[in-house]
Amino acid sequence: MDFSHHAARVLDTAAVRGAVYCDVRFERTRSERAEVRNGDVSGLADERSDGYGIRALVDGAWGFAASNGFDDDALDLAAARAVETARAAAAIAVRRIGEAPTDCYVDTFATPVDRDPIDIPLGERVALLLDAEKLLHAAPSITVGRAWIDLWHTEKFFFSSIGSQIAQTIVQSGSGMSALAVGNGDAQMRVWPGDRGLYQSGGWEIVEAAQLRDNAQRIGEEAHALLSAPQCPSGIMDIVLGGSQVSLQIHESCGHAAELDRIMGWEANFSGTSFLSPDQLGTLRYGSPIVNIQIDNTLPLGFATAAYDDEGTKSVVSDIIRGGLLAGFETSRDTARAIGRASNACVRAQSWMHVPMIRMCNLNLLPGDTPFEELFTDVADGVYMEANRSWSIDDRRLNFQFGCQIGWEIRNGKRGRMLKNPTYAGVTPQFWNSCDAIGDAAAWRAWGSPNCGKGEPIQSGRTTQAAAPARFRMVAVGVGYDA
Amino acid sequence: MTPDERIAVADAVLARSRADATEVSIETSRLGLTRFTHETVNQNIDQTNTSLRVRAVVDGRVGIAATNAFDASALDAVAARAVEIALLAPRESTPPVLAGNAAADAPAGAFVAATAAAGPEQRASVAGAIFAHATDGLWSSGYAMTANYGLTVATSNGARMSFDGSDAGANVKMNGPDSTGFAESYSRDVNALDGTLLGAQSARIARETRAPLAVDPGDWTVILAPAAAGELLRYLTLNFSAESYSDGSSFIAGKLGTPVLGANVTLRDDYAHPLNPGMPFDFEGFPTQRVTLVAGGLANDLVTDSTWAQRLNRPNSGHALPAPNSDGPQSSYTVLDAGTKSLETLVAETKRGLLITRLWYVRIVDQRTVLLTGMTRDGTFLIENGTLKCGVRNMRFNASIVAALKDCELGDTQRRTGSYHYSLVTPAIKFNHFHFTSVSPY
Repeated sequence: MDFSHHAARVLDTAAVRGAVYCDVRFERTRSERAEVRNGDVSGLADERSDGYGIRALVDGAWGFAASNGFDDDALDLAAARAVETARAAAAIAVRRIGEAPTDCYVDTFATPVDRDPIDIPLGERVALLLDAEKLLHAAPSITVGRAWIDLWHTEKFFFSSIGSQIAQTIVQSGSGMSALAVGNGDAQMRVWPGDRGLYQSGGWEIVEAAQLRDNAQRIGEEAHALLSAPQCPSGIMDIVLGGSQVSLQIHESCGHAAELDRIMGWEANFSGTSFLSPDQLGTLRYGSPIVNIQIDNTLPLGFATAAYDDEGTKSVVSDIIRGGLLAGFETSRDTARAIGRASNACVRAQSWMHVPMIRMCNLNLLPGDTPFEELFTDVADGVYMEANRSWSIDDRRLNFQFGCQIGWEIRNGKRGRMLKNPTYAGVTPQFWNSCDAIGDAAAWRAWGSPNCGKGEPIQSGRTTQAAAPARFRMVAVGVGYDA
Repeated sequence: MTPDERIAVADAVLARSRADATEVSIETSRLGLTRFTHETVNQNIDQTNTSLRVRAVVDGRVGIAATNAFDASALDAVAARAVEIALLAPRESTPPVLAGNAAADAPAGAFVAATAAAGPEQRASVAGAIFAHATDGLWSSGYAMTANYGLTVATSNGARMSFDGSDAGANVKMNGPDSTGFAESYSRDVNALDGTLLGAQSARIARETRAPLAVDPGDWTVILAPAAAGELLRYLTLNFSAESYSDGSSFIAGKLGTPVLGANVTLRDDYAHPLNPGMPFDFEGFPTQRVTLVAGGLANDLVTDSTWAQRLNRPNSGHALPAPNSDGPQSSYTVLDAGTKSLETLVAETKRGLLITRLWYVRIVDQRTVLLTGMTRDGTFLIENGTLKCGVRNMRFNASIVAALKDCELGDTQRRTGSYHYSLVTPAIKFNHFHFTSVSPY
C-alpha cells in the first residue's frame, strides 16, 4: 500500500501547527498464532492491525500520537495531537532533550525468507503441533502438554519531514512446546527449545529448525524425571550454562544495563536505572578478557534484524563490551548526542500504536573457542544448567538470581545425574569476570525472545541475544532452596 | 465509538458470519501518558485504537480473526476468515458455550467524563506539582496517565454487553544521591490525582532513608506497604485459576475447603470494589461474579471461564481473558481484606524489623510452594523498638508467600496498587518471618 499521500498530509499538518520536525511510521501487521493444549487446539488466530504513530518536535520536546484512522480528519487530528503533546511537554520542561535529525534515507529492506509461512497450510501447522504435543505425554505425570507457533509479518513505512522514506518488510517466526509434570507434591516444567521456544527472523524454516517432533518425547521424559531427581546442591561452585541461559544472562545483566535511557534516568520509576555511567566507557572491567558483546542489528536470523530503527537511523554493528571492557551503550539520537556519540539504531516500538524508545535489539556474546564438551573437562565439582524458569535482577542490574528448568551435576569433568531446581546468584561484574570459557561457533545460536518488557505504557519487545554455552567459576549455587 | 455504534458494528459482523455460533468483541481505547525524568517530560503520548475480534464456532471447531479496520470489506474479511480457520481446526473436546444476554451493571462511577476529556495540559499540571518537591538534591521520575476504554461483546446467542470506563493514575520515584522514595495514586477521576501529595510523600521517603545501612540478610519481621504487598499478592492469585488448580500446579490443588493461609486472611476477586477499575463482564460477555478466593484462611473458590466451568463442572465466574487464551481464567481485580491495625501501630509493635515501600522483579522460584524472589526498592526502613530508625540498603528475598501469609497481620487501610499493568487492592501486611538472602551495594 502506498502511504505517501497520508504521510504528506500528516507532515504538512504538523508543520503548520508548529512542529520543527515530524516523522510518521505506518505499520501493517499480521500476527498468526496456533496453540495446542492436551490435544485441543486452544488457540487458532489470525489478527491484523494497521495504524500509524507520529512523532513531533516542538521547542526541544517530543510529542507522540497514534491512530488507526486513515481518513483526512483522523490524520489531521492525530498530527495535531502529536504537536499538542509536544507543546505541553515543552511548557514544563527544565531541559531541552530533543533535536531534529539531519540524516535522511530513501531505502527498502525485506527479511530474507526461505519458505514464506503463508505457503504453509493451516492444517499442516496444526498437524505439527498435535503430533509434537502428543509425544510430550511420555508419562502419566504430564498433566499439561502445549505446543505453539507464532508468525508475524510487518510492513513498516517511515516518512520524515527532512525527506526520509524507508519501507521495510519484517518477517519473524517462532515455535516451541512445554510439558508440565506433577507428582510427589511437586510441579516441574520443561520447555523446548530454550526457555520459551525458538524465535528468529525468517519464515517457516525457523519453525522447522525447532525440531519439535524430534524432541517432544525427550522433553516429556525429562519433565517426569525431574519429579524424582535430587535437589541441586547449595554452595560456591563452578557452573556451565546452556546457550539459552547465557542468552538470558546477557539480556538481563548486560543488555538492559547498557541502555543509555536507563543510565540517564528515563526509566527510573519503572524499569530502573543502571550501575553503569558514561565516564566508565573504556575503563570499567565488565567481564573477563574473553567477553565480547556486540550490537548487530544486521545479524542473519536475529529477531530484531532490520535495516533501520524506528526513528529512521541505519543499523550498524557496534561494541558494548570489547575484551571485557565497557565499550558502548544502546542509544537513540537524543541520548547518544548527550554523550557525544552517534546513535547505534536501537530505537523500536512494539507496534504502530507505541512510542519508539531504546530497546535491546540484537545484542550478542561473540563465540569463544572452546568446544561444548570441553567446557566440562576441568570442572571438578559443579553444575550444568539449562533453560531458564525464573529470573530476577535489581533495578540497577547488579544483584541477580536465576533458576533453570533442569541441571546435571558435573564431577571430575563429566556430566552426571540430573538435578532439579538449579539456581544461581551473583553480582553482574563479578559474575562476568568469572567467565573463563565460552563455547565455540558450532554451539552459538541466535536465541530470540518475543516479550521483553520495558517502558510506560509497557511495551513488549522482540530481541535476540545470540550466545553459546559458557563456564563461570566459583558461583553461588542453590540460592533460595538453602534456607 | 459509542456503545450503540459498537453494537451496530457487531450486529453487522454477526449478520455476515456463516458459523454455527459467533462472538464479536469490540474494544476501544484512548491512552494519554506523560512520562518525566529530571523535571523534564521525556515522553508524552496520545494513542487511540479500536479493534474487532471474531470467534467463530463451526461443528465444535473454533477460529479467531481480528482486525482494526471497519469498512465493509474489512468486516466481510474478518467474518469469513474466522470461519475459514474454524473449518480447518480439529473439533475441541470442550467447545465454547457463547454468552446470552444478561444484566451486568457497571460499577458506580466507572466512567468519569472529566478523565475522558483530560488532555496533556492536565497531566502536565500533575507532573509540575510533583517537580516542586524535587529539591535538596532530589530529582523526580514518574508519569501521569489518563485513559478511557470501551468493550462490547455480542454473540449469536443474544448477548449485547457494553461497558465504558475511565482511569487515571500517577506515580513518582524521587531520587537522591544514595536513596530513593516512591508514591502512587490511581482513580477513575483525574481530578483525584494530587501531584503535590505524591511529590511530598516520595521526597519524604527519599530524605528519611539517606545514608542507608547494610543490614545482615536472614529472617526478618517485615511490614510491606501496599505497593510492596501487591507485588507479592499478584503471584499468589495465579493459583486460583481453574486451570492451574486442575493441572496440579497450584498450591491449592486438591485443597479447596481446607486451611491454606492464616485465619485472618480473606482474599477476593471483586471487580466492583470502589478502588478497582473493574468491568462487570468478561471478554466472553459473561457477567463477572464477585468471588471469595480465600475465606478466613480456607481455600474457598476458583475463577473460571466458559471452558473451565464446563471442564470442572463449576459455575462460570466470568473471568475469561481475550481469545485466544491458553492461560485460562484469571483473577484480575484481587482484594485482600483489611485488618484492624494502622500502619503506625504495626510499626510501633515491631521490636526489630523492616518497613518496605516497594518490591521489584518478583518472580516464582518454586511453583508449588509459591517461593518467590525479588528485591526491595525505593525506600526500606530499619525499625527498632517500634520506631523508624534509618534507611537500609536494598536486599534480595527468597520467601514463600504462602508460608508468610500463615503468620501475618494486616493493616486497616486498603490502597489500590499495581499501576496500569494490573490492579490490586491491599492493606499493608506484616509478616513475622520473611527470608532475605543477600544485600545489594546500594
